[in-house]
Amino acid sequence: MAELLDLLLEPLRYPFMVRGLLASFMVGTLCAVVGTYVVLRGMAFLGDALAHAILPGVAVAYLAEANLFWGALGMGLLTALGIGYIGRRGQIKEDTAIGVIFAASLALGVAILSLVDNYSVDLTHILFGNVLGVSDTDLWLTAGLGLVVFLAVVLLYKELLVVSFDPVLAATLRLPLGGLQYTLLILIALTIVVSLQTVGVALMVAMLVTPAATAYLLTRRLWHMMLVGALVGAVSTVAGLYLSFYVNVASGAAVVLICTAFFVLAFLFAPRRGAVWTWRKGRVGSST
Amino acid sequence: MSPVLNVRNLSVSYNGSRALDGVSLEVDAGQRVAVVGPNGAGKSTLFRAMVGLIPHQLGSIETHGTELGYITQRSAVDWSFPVTVHDVVMMGRVGKMGWLRWQRPIDREVVQRCLQEVGMAAYADRQIGELSGGQQQRVFIARALAQEAGILLMDEPFSGVDASAQETILEILSQLHEQGVTMLVSTHDLNLAVEWSDRLALLNGKLIAYGPPREVVTPERLAEAYGGQALWRGEDYAMVLGDIDCCGEGGHHHG
Repeated sequence: MAELLDLLLEPLRYPFMVRGLLASFMVGTLCAVVGTYVVLRGMAFLGDALAHAILPGVAVAYLAEANLFWGALGMGLLTALGIGYIGRRGQIKEDTAIGVIFAASLALGVAILSLVDNYSVDLTHILFGNVLGVSDTDLWLTAGLGLVVFLAVVLLYKELLVVSFDPVLAATLRLPLGGLQYTLLILIALTIVVSLQTVGVALMVAMLVTPAATAYLLTRRLWHMMLVGALVGAVSTVAGLYLSFYVNVASGAAVVLICTAFFVLAFLFAPRRGAVWTWRKGRVGSST
Repeated sequence: MSPVLNVRNLSVSYNGSRALDGVSLEVDAGQRVAVVGPNGAGKSTLFRAMVGLIPHQLGSIETHGTELGYITQRSAVDWSFPVTVHDVVMMGRVGKMGWLRWQRPIDREVVQRCLQEVGMAAYADRQIGELSGGQQQRVFIARALAQEAGILLMDEPFSGVDASAQETILEILSQLHEQGVTMLVSTHDLNLAVEWSDRLALLNGKLIAYGPPREVVTPERLAEAYGGQALWRGEDYAMVLGDIDCCGEGGHHHG
């Protein structure tokens, strides 16, 4: 028992680990809560694209030696509004538009970064995160923006629920469909920006989708799904960081793999919806 | 009786082609109106334009002293969404609650009462996907009631539900009728429409006829509406042939 406690406390002697754990915890919960809407509205591809689309902003900030955060924020908001606009214009299908923007932004980001000599190391950090490099400033920015997103999700809970479940009802209730759609895109963009340093661009979509999808299999109400998702997200990120501390695997990858393990468990064993449950039910049904 | 709903000269176009052409309806308080026509006749378009879901190019819609409640077609709903029956009916109260407000005790009372009215109070905590088609339809009626809408628009409420569920829904509708609720129901079942309604609107792009059902339904008008697809069966009024898919009309509107 004491050994286990030592195991848990040991990393806390290092300030960079404490900052990393705090950042991971915040990012894990926030991604899962916002990810609930990503899962329910089938926006996984959009989330992935949005994460990659911030790369040029990050690259420019890097070259200008500014905080990468602000570059990501500017580009994230710009892309969210762009995708929202194209989606509402409706000349081409939304996922086609996303595909175009996604690849173009990634290319632009790589092109800008390749102008720098030692760009591969920095590109790796941006793509896969560098949670152990989280500074105090980063931590405060994460906490502040995360709180804003979280408050918006709570305050707009019933409106976002109605537009997600039944846009037809939302329209008859005269809710501003366009405004709520943009708001949701901006919330997803902010979440991605906040999470950039912890999980990186490439694995971002896993944090948005996997904990929420796990919760989806286990719950039957929206706010339950948010709570369970947040729990899965928080446990995965923190556990992933411990794993990377002791086993020396990349932290972002460890986090995503633990998340995925939770998802597989839920997929197999969730009451009523899990694969094992439906298989057993099918057998009982056929034998009677 | 005074009219609660006036639709005047309503015209709707999609991509340059006209889906509804100059439709005018006057509905008195408490009337039961059936909207009948073949696939693509514009039944869904009419309802959607009335509640402002799709823009209309000409004409006007006026309600007097009450609101329209639209009951979504079952095929347009994601039934695996994590919401309970109670949550769905509570959505009808969102307009009454206002921004940044939580549900009040009065909202919970209304939800409870509306669920009782459709006989679904015992199912309040069920996830909506766990219900049968008829029960889902009743929940959506309860939601429209929770909106405090005095005029209900129901788009094909009997499609995809079995005969006994249809019977239950009809019983609920007659209770609502006794309470003075005005109802517009679109259906492809001409016999049911004739038996059930006070006014029948025969639609095919334009309004072919509108009035008491037994006056509206004549062989000539049915031929005009259905283009020869209607089979005249004397006193039994009509059976419609070639009208198997009832839900393809209009498509879904998201976002």
